[in-house]
Formats: sequence, structure tokens, C-alpha cells
Amino acid sequence: MFRRFAAIALSALLVATPGSAHKVIESGSPAKILNGAILVKPQSRWNRLQQRAGTFQEVWTIDGDRLNKIVFYAGVPVGQPLLRERSKKRDPLPKVAANMLLPDIPVLLERTYRTQYGLAIMSIGKQEPATLGGQPAIAFQYSFIDPDFEVETKGEAVAVMLKGKLYLVAFEAPSTFYFDRDVAKFRELTRTVTLSGA
Amino acid sequence: MKRPLLLAALAVAASATVPADAVDKLGTLAPYTPAYEPQGVDERGMWMMADEVEKLLAVSELRIGDEELNRYVERVLCDTVGSDRCAGVRVHILNIPAFNATMYPNGAMTVWSGLLLRVRSEAELGAVLGHEFAHFEMRHSLRGFEQRRKATDALAWLSVLGGFTQANTTSSQFSILSSVFQFNRAQETEADLQGLRYLAQSPYPSRAASEVWQHLMEEADATAAGRKLKRTDSYRAGFFDTHPTELSRASYLLDQALVYGDAGDGRSKDYYAAMKKHLPKFLADQVKLNDLNGTDYILNGIAGTTGWTGELLHARAEMFAARGNPRDLVTATTLYLQAVESGYRSPETVRGLGLSLVKSGKRSEGAKYLEEYLAALPEAPDASIIKLYVSQ
Amino acid sequence: MIDRYFARALVILALLMLHVPLMAQEKTGTKEGFALAPGSVRIALVDPNIRVGEQSTGGLFEPNADWTQQARENLEREITRALGTLGNEVVRVNLNTTPQGDSLRRYNALFGAVASSVVEYQFFPGNRLPTKKQDKSFEWTVGPGLREVLALEGYDYILMIRTSDAYGSGGRKALQMVGLLAGVAVTSGEHIGMAGLVDIKTGDLVWLNADLQMGGDPRTPEGAAKRVSQLLEGFPGAPVPGAATTGK
Repeated sequence: MFRRFAAIALSALLVATPGSAHKVIESGSPAKILNGAILVKPQSRWNRLQQRAGTFQEVWTIDGDRLNKIVFYAGVPVGQPLLRERSKKRDPLPKVAANMLLPDIPVLLERTYRTQYGLAIMSIGKQEPATLGGQPAIAFQYSFIDPDFEVETKGEAVAVMLKGKLYLVAFEAPSTFYFDRDVAKFRELTRTVTLSGA
Repeated sequence: MKRPLLLAALAVAASATVPADAVDKLGTLAPYTPAYEPQGVDERGMWMMADEVEKLLAVSELRIGDEELNRYVERVLCDTVGSDRCAGVRVHILNIPAFNATMYPNGAMTVWSGLLLRVRSEAELGAVLGHEFAHFEMRHSLRGFEQRRKATDALAWLSVLGGFTQANTTSSQFSILSSVFQFNRAQETEADLQGLRYLAQSPYPSRAASEVWQHLMEEADATAAGRKLKRTDSYRAGFFDTHPTELSRASYLLDQALVYGDAGDGRSKDYYAAMKKHLPKFLADQVKLNDLNGTDYILNGIAGTTGWTGELLHARAEMFAARGNPRDLVTATTLYLQAVESGYRSPETVRGLGLSLVKSGKRSEGAKYLEEYLAALPEAPDASIIKLYVSQ
Repeated sequence: MIDRYFARALVILALLMLHVPLMAQEKTGTKEGFALAPGSVRIALVDPNIRVGEQSTGGLFEPNADWTQQARENLEREITRALGTLGNEVVRVNLNTTPQGDSLRRYNALFGAVASSVVEYQFFPGNRLPTKKQDKSFEWTVGPGLREVLALEGYDYILMIRTSDAYGSGGRKALQMVGLLAGVAVTSGEHIGMAGLVDIKTGDLVWLNADLQMGGDPRTPEGAAKRVSQLLEGFPGAPVPGAATTGK
């Protein structure tokens, strides 16, 4: 496992050039996620991490990705996985399907995480109707144990299928302290979301 | 899987060809010396780390604490290796949906839920547990560690020497790594044959050991077919697989079992009776692994003993529903209906059925089942989102 | 291998040091304006993670139980002594025997995640998060809920210690020489240490010290004294006796 982690960390670092690794997201000014697939207007300061785990993914953090992060999955088309597959043949990830209903989205995320991160324990909690970018969406909660740090992590997400693309915005943080401290910033952010497909 | 790999890192591995002297007609077991204490620096170091791993296991969220299940697995181990031997072992059952059991040098053994899902009788479970126990009795972890050290030493030299010439050392690295695992394979084979001796002296038939590997091969074939991989690739879970190919294992284990010629009751029905309470959870975890064909093979295997029960039909339906191709919806709907007809009308089943119907364009029929779900579990965490598909 | 988050932090540390030599690494961070008044506090030393072994030619860690046991005893004694000379009381708190150890265990794990975040995103200025760019700022915390942990009642601070020592075997040292000629970096031996102090009232990490190349052989009393003085380098407040004189 160290081998795998080391490879990821190394590739991320080699691409990085000192001083320009991560970009600040200023409070109060509009921000584009992945060339504008999602637009937001955050009311707090974030860092956009340079490393990404998939073509349609972008990660923001305040204190580092293990302590708090917002993960955007911005317009994942039908037939595509949420994250880059480690091996298309050996560890394929579930794909976005055209006929997915809102309750299928948490299942997709759970199956993806279980496969990609080797989580043996992950559970989906409360699921409720919500809106994202003015569209009828699902809001749901989940939790899992971070396999690297054995830290119990809580997640909350809002998601919608729109014109054959999945838009999912999630917040993840350790259940001790960090989740409760920062989740309000995430909820505030989700209210400012505009979807390019809408 | 990161976590299992880590937990398993200390556990022993290994194996390939049967040593000539392995054909041992009586299946005699050497007398067992209990209460072994580690000797020497390497071994004490391994034990120290194993003790720490075991402390973590005790408080791990992965642990399945269910007393009855733990007693049952321990009982099968004791019936297999004998009560004098099994006294030195502490079994920890872990909720990890992969086929594995690990043995630590200090006597801690882990048994994964994915193993419990796959073996089909007490005899098959005993075969795997006995194999793990054999590593312990033969103190393989120490020798495995010493051997791994030699191999990585050679690797390090190569990567440095590669620096001299800018040559790509990758292929040499491969062959060196393979050689390590060939050595470890000898240990695996040793453990296989020792495990078989336990089985031959137990109430269980020793033929069960070979069957475990046959089934794993068939499952791997099914998975590979589903992923359009070449069949032959499927017998190696990965380059770092330390186990002998299942094929040679299945065949030498069968040969030796025929030499023993022992008979016995594999106790398949008892096995599934003991698993009944846990099966739906094990199935649900397996279904989430995104391996439709492999999972289907497992379900068929269980159905071979228990018949297509509602639990199995439900699990199969969930699998197709999750993939969600248009034709999968038809399959899923049919399977959910069959589960319901077989008397398995769990809230999860009517929920799945309802959603499948909605997706197939049959909203009003679907709504009927979703209402039933909501009536059964009004406080379900997804109640308010499911209501969306009822009130329209 | 036991302490995964620590191990991951070490991997990050190692990678950053070995592969991004352009980035200068900082070793110590202290919360701005924080100082510890000597003679005033009780410190809980929670399960230090100490392991000692040998590094084979291939770089594999080989645990050595005897060495680890010696190092544990030496380091714990030295830490208690060094901080004790400042008049502070250090008490060993054992996670496995403390009532309510579970909630303390959760904070212990969270500390690992926080410490690795500090190393990854603060100690390497080139990889620093833009919102944490201010030179002096050191704002890291496990949260104020820490003060509710009953096992910590009566203490003012937690001291977290993690060390990993792997002594290069003869083969490893030879490899290092060849590597030098070949222009391939091979490290012989690994002497990594991390020490952090958390304020129980606020949960704030008031000080963290992390280094990939520590001195002092913790298996011997003298070496352990040197190691502890390095681990406690930059300890906030009055200088720890001995620390000021042992540079590297």
C-alpha cells in the first residue's frame, strides 16, 4: 500500500512546481470548477488543490485534504466513473448510468469508494430531497473510516443528474471536530451553485 | 485494498511443487508443542509487532464481535486441527469482503467475511483455517521474513546498478520478485499439505481442501469473463500474489486427498445454518464490489446447497439494479419479484422492486411497492427521498 | 506498520525530502505567541510510538524487540527528566488501560492526521496552502472537545512522540557507497522523529517538531538523551536543558 500511495504522492509532487502548487479561492468572488461546469460563489476562503483524482473532479480544502475538503464531481457523463480507475480491467469502478434516480446516486458513491479506497466499512445515512443549482437534487450523509489514518470521516453531499451528466458536490472531514466546524461553509457554498447544463 | 494489505503484511504467505516426500499415506501428525515462546532477535521482533497488531484488532471497527459466530469458527478450527493445537490460537473475524485469512506468529488469526461467504461447508472452512494454522505451527513467518529480506536486498542492488547504465531494470526486477514468491510458495505448499493432514485426521473429508481452490478458480474465471480479461491471467490476483497457482494447488491437494482416501461429512447444511444470520450482510458487501460475474458465481455456489433463497435472489437483483443497463432492469425486476414470491418480502426488496419499476417507466406499479417500503420503515433514512416517487 | 497515519506522514516527509530537494523543509512550528511557563504544567505523555530495527540492504524494516524495548525505556525516562528539569510534571498515559481510552484514541488518530497535514502543507513552503502562507502563522488544532476527554482530567497538555529508527545493515551501507558513485541516492538507516504538544484546553497544536534525520541512538542512555534533546528542539518556553547545545 505504501508503494501505491508513494506513487500517487510522487507523481503529484513531480508535477508541482514550488510556489504554484495550490491556488487560493477568495471569499466573495465567483469561482469556476473545471472550466465552468459548476460555478460557485464561496463565502469563505479555500485552497484549490493541484492534485486531482479524476477528469471530472476538483478538490478544495482549508487545512489539508485529510482534515476538510470539498470534492466536486462536475458533469460526469453517462458511462464514466467518478474517479480515475486504478486499472480499468482489474479494479473497474461503477459508471454513471442514464436511468439513475436520485436514490441511486449515494449507492454509486459508496460502490466507488469501496472499490477505489478499499473501504470495508462505509455507510449511507440520511437522504433527503434538496436543490442544487435550482434543480431537484438529493442531499445525503455518509461515513467511513479513513484507511490511512483510522480516522472516522463524515461526509455530506448534494447531487443531481442533469441532461445525462452527474453533478455531485461533497464535503468530507473527520467526525471529531472538523466536520461540525466546517460543514456550514459547505452548505452555504452549495446554495450558490450554478450548473452549466441547467 | 489498503487496509487488508496492511493487516496482512505480517501474516505469512507463500508456494508450488509438491516435494517428493510429501506423499505421506498415513497423514500422521507430529506431536504438538504448546506454549512456544519466540527465540532470537528476528522472531521476538515479529512477535512484538504481531502483539501490537492484535491490540489494534481488538478495538478495530472491522471486527465482527458476534459471540455465536466467533465460537462457531473456533469450533470448526478445533474440530479440524484438534483441541490441543487450537488452544494456542485466537480468532478475530473481520468484516472485509475478500477471500482471506491471516495468521500471525503470536497465534492471532484473522478470518475475513469474504472467506465465510465463499466456503461452502465446515470442511472447506476447516481446510482454510487448518492451512493458516499450519503456518503458525511451522513458524513460517520467521522464515518468510528472512527470505523476503534476501530478495529485496537483491532488488536494491539492481536499482542502483541500473543507475550506472541508465538501463531499464524493470524486467529483472520482475524476475527477482518472482523468485521470492517461488520460495514462499514452498512454504504455502508445506502449509497446504500439513493442513491436509489435519483434515484427514478430522471428521471432515480432506477432499474439501482441493474444492476450495477449484471454486476460487471458477470464480476468478467468471470475474475475468465479465471484465473481458484473459482467463489465464485470472489465476493471479496480481503480481505480488504470493500463493501458488490455484490450479496446481487444487490438483496436488486432490491427489494427496485420494491417497488418504478418508471420508467424512463436510457439513454443508450446518455451515449455512450457522451463516444464516450474517449472510444478508455478507452478500450486501459483496454486491457493492462491482464484480457482477464473480458475485453471480458465488451466489450460484451457495444456491447449490440452499437452493435459490429469497436472500440470494435479492442480492442478485441488487447487483443488476446497480449496473442499470436497460436489460439489467428487466432482470432485476424479475429477480426482486421472485424473491418476493419465495416469501422474502423484506423492506429492502420491495424498495428495490419499486425503484426498478419506476426506472422501467412503470411508475404507478413502482409506487405501490415504495409505499409498502415506507409503511414498513417509516423512519428509514431515505424515507423522504423515496416519497418523491410515491406522490407523483 | 502499526501506526499507519504516522507511517503515511513519514512517507510524505521522505518523499518531499528526497524528491523535491528544491524545497527547503522547516522542522519546527510553534503557535504564534505561545510560550510555556516553566514549572507550571502537567503533561500527559500518550502512548509514544517508538520502534527500532534494522534496515536491510533492500530497505526493508526489520523490527527488533530488544532494541525497541530499550529505546522505549530510555526515551520515556529522558523525556520525563528533560521536561521535569523545567519543573513540569510528565505522566505516562496508556491508551489500553485508561478508562475512556476510546475517545482519547480518536484524538490520538486525529493528531496523526493533523501532524501529517502540517508536514505536507506547512513545513514545505513550496507545497504550502495559500491560505496558510503567512510566515509566522501556525494554526492547527484537534478541536476544543479534547478538554471533555475524562482521561485527560488534571493535565494541561498532551505530548505526542513518534520515532522510527532503522539502523543500516552492513549490506545497506555498502549499497549506499555504490549508490553515491552511481549518482543514486540511497539512505542508510532511517532516524525519523516527530514530537507535538497539544493544549488540552483549546485542542490547539501549540508546537510540532518533525525531522527525517535525527541524531542520537535511543538504545543507549546517552543516545536517548541526545535524541530527546533534538525531539524537544524548539520546545516552546524555556529552552530544554541540553537542547540548545546539540545542533546537527
